[in-house]
Amino acid sequence: MDVEQRPGVRRDPGLTLLELYDQALPEVYGYLLSRCGQRALAEDLTEETFLAALSACRRSAPPQLSVAWLIGVARHKLVDHWRAAAREERGLRVVAGGLAEPEDPWDERLDAIVARQVLDTLGPQHRAVLTLRYLDGLPVADVAKYLDRTLHATEALLVRARSAFRKSYVDHHDESEREGRS
Amino acid sequence: MTEHRDPLDVLRTGVVPTEPDPAFAARLRARLESEVLNPKGATMSSSEPTSVTLEQTPTREGDVVYSSLWVPDVDRAQAFYTAVLGWRIDASGETRRVLDVRPPMGMRGGTAHGTLFLCHAVDDLAAALDRVRAAGGEAGEPVREPFGLVADCVDNQGMRFAMLHAPRDQRQPVPPPGAGELFYLTVRVPNSQLYRDFYGTVFGWTFTPGRIEDGWGVTGPAPMTGMHGNVDRPSVVPMFGVADVAAAVAAVRAAGGTAEDPVRMPYGTTADCVDDQGLPFYLGQV
Repeated sequence: MDVEQRPGVRRDPGLTLLELYDQALPEVYGYLLSRCGQRALAEDLTEETFLAALSACRRSAPPQLSVAWLIGVARHKLVDHWRAAAREERGLRVVAGGLAEPEDPWDERLDAIVARQVLDTLGPQHRAVLTLRYLDGLPVADVAKYLDRTLHATEALLVRARSAFRKSYVDHHDESEREGRS
Repeated sequence: MTEHRDPLDVLRTGVVPTEPDPAFAARLRARLESEVLNPKGATMSSSEPTSVTLEQTPTREGDVVYSSLWVPDVDRAQAFYTAVLGWRIDASGETRRVLDVRPPMGMRGGTAHGTLFLCHAVDDLAAALDRVRAAGGEAGEPVREPFGLVADCVDNQGMRFAMLHAPRDQRQPVPPPGAGELFYLTVRVPNSQLYRDFYGTVFGWTFTPGRIEDGWGVTGPAPMTGMHGNVDRPSVVPMFGVADVAAAVAAVRAAGGTAEDPVRMPYGTTADCVDDQGLPFYLGQV
């Protein structure tokens, strides 16, 4: 008898997703809220995440459903959101193009709370790349995949984003220093 | 190259689980439940292909490819289930057929103790019949029917079932269950260990302990199946999908059956019901 060779696991993956829902919802929502910072937006993206997950698990090669996989779907949704936001802003502001400039080493120890505030002020593209690279801690190659860019383009974007972040951080810091003194 | 500490590393943020607004959580759950049982379309990420096709999963060995409601009085059952589930019945042949449901269903009278009779797909009928015998069941002779080669069997606790020879390449895709269709099966048996031994051997199913005493989740078959032991007589209790479980509960009561108020389960909102001939069944909102 070749019991082991027969397909063992088979059920409507949608039901598996529903079973995972209570456990996964706070994780997915928590991930999105801590990255986009707005409750209504986090709810919208959470909903999109679960609906996309449902349609993905109905495809011929359904993914192995897990919280980690759902976080990956959520990350895609977040990137989609920032991409759409970037399209909206493109008419107003052209993101600096061209070759990446060599970076100055920057060794300052940053204040995490201030850093988060600064991140929230950046444009969507910079916010996306910095979130994936630093908040999520993804390697640059993975960041490139999520952003659907080449490795080189992602590295260049990362340099520009870091430089925008740094400028903003220093301004912010100087401002608080001045306020502190007065 | 030296390892350079990156000041932006302070941004590192793990996933901190956060409970969303309960109203939002309930709304999203309801939406997912409705999509699972009544798939209409799908929402795709813009980074995914734009063509939307709901994949239908092909039948696998052990999947239920036909079922038949065995009842004492088939006319009463036809009236009852037509009223509750909106079934249309073809009563022209020897066996009544429920129209427009997948997998196909029938209905048969003259059985004192009601159950849902199941017919399972197998890759190789002869080999499957050998496994039935090896596992302590009775295997009937294969019979050529219009829909294929089928054999009646009895499992090791006296429950009748059938197997249909359905080579992998000839199997039809089965869409996720919709309203009026089988959503979940609950198998009640005297001895859960005997059930696991038999169906594990015959179909390769595996079992995980469930939420209730001697209750088991069955991994393998479609529709989704659960099993529990400690009953006098084996039977299969169907759960039928309905679009609106509250309305269906009212229809059960109006048609002379009894129904408990709907409760929320991990797989959807369900209601325990008994038909007007005393047969238990469940409704599941989908």
